[in-house]
Amino acid sequence: MERGVQRWIVDISKWEPSPHDFSFALSLLPQHEHSSVIRFVKMEDRKRALVSRLLQYALVHQVLGIPYDEIVIKRKLEGKPYLECAKGYSKFPNFNFNVSHHGDFVAIASEPVCIVGLDIVCCVKPQKETVPEFIHNFASYFSRLEWDNIINSGTSDEILVEFYRYWCLKEAYVKAIGSGLVNGLDRVEFHHTNWTNIFVKIDGKPMKEWRFWLFELQKQHWVSVARGHPKAAAGSYKTTMSQLEFDEEEYHKGLGLPNVTFVAQTLEQLILVSHDADEMVE
Amino acid sequence: MASVSTSCLRFQPLLWQSNNTCQAAQRTSLKLVSVSWAKSGFPSLRATRFRVSCAANPLTMQKVCDIVRKQLVLSPETQLTPETKFSELGADSLDTVEIVMGLEEEFDINVEEESSQNITTVKDAADLIDKLVQKKAEAGA
Repeated sequence: MERGVQRWIVDISKWEPSPHDFSFALSLLPQHEHSSVIRFVKMEDRKRALVSRLLQYALVHQVLGIPYDEIVIKRKLEGKPYLECAKGYSKFPNFNFNVSHHGDFVAIASEPVCIVGLDIVCCVKPQKETVPEFIHNFASYFSRLEWDNIINSGTSDEILVEFYRYWCLKEAYVKAIGSGLVNGLDRVEFHHTNWTNIFVKIDGKPMKEWRFWLFELQKQHWVSVARGHPKAAAGSYKTTMSQLEFDEEEYHKGLGLPNVTFVAQTLEQLILVSHDADEMVE
Repeated sequence: MASVSTSCLRFQPLLWQSNNTCQAAQRTSLKLVSVSWAKSGFPSLRATRFRVSCAANPLTMQKVCDIVRKQLVLSPETQLTPETKFSELGADSLDTVEIVMGLEEEFDINVEEESSQNITTVKDAADLIDKLVQKKAEAGA
């Protein structure tokens, strides 16, 4: 079961592909994914889109052993990618994954039982407004308590980081349930002890079936991971879950699986995996 | 029943984007126009769901593009069409919120959270703005 829990990350600032290298990497993905990479206008976004897809296919191949060209990854209406062909290969009740990218990093997280969401933020300083002006744009997404914590954090820099940490967690939650940006995020209130033991209250009720983690990466990036009950999956994403009902013990086993640290991968390693080599470093 | 000003009535054929191979959320909206012409005797077509789509005000479009360009730090050569999706320009969730805020400020309107989630293209934004501005004008604000 632990094998279903994966956390991989790639630093794309180190990847400067020539047009030829880029085309080659793109060709490793199924044809129908190509347009979704190319549609991005900026090269940096294309790189992130490409790497995020390579991570998905590499992880599925690595963990479930599905032959690379048999992997079928689709998205429902709200946009969260899911694995379609798992039956027969997956020994896990609900193998699912989520990717995120921002700034220099692209990452993926997978879980065997719980739904998983992941978000990376890069603490970018607002260019054309002050920090209070910037964060004020997002005030309606925070509860009173969270907002007070943010604005009372101290200096501008500390306020900004606090803002991003809360935002990152909210995004991880939204992405775990697969719903797109939700209304009423101000009712999803995060509590923590120095950013550990993070838990969420929704409409004042503590959600005991969720776990959250927040880690600092290099270069002022943060990554959050959310793990929750498949029943909480939203809309059409819920239909991709194989098992929604669990008895308490079974669910808590899944909920309590270790949250492994992120393993850095390089592009070269991802490309090797796509060529079915056994050289993926764990 | 929406009241339609005849000067900007435009019929939109059913648009299926054939170049869209990716599975990402694509809103293909059914646009049938419900019209009754009293004089010419054309039958009135009723659809259970309809949306009257006017050509968006070019000035609105221009302002939307300016705001988007600024927010996403686009190079001047970057082409923006009405169909350009914010996500394709590299907009993340933070950018989308800021773009909507910028539009609210520029046009002195208020965009509901549910509506803002439906804004995925430049045209979506311009259409919504025109609608809200007109509503405001009609309310005699």
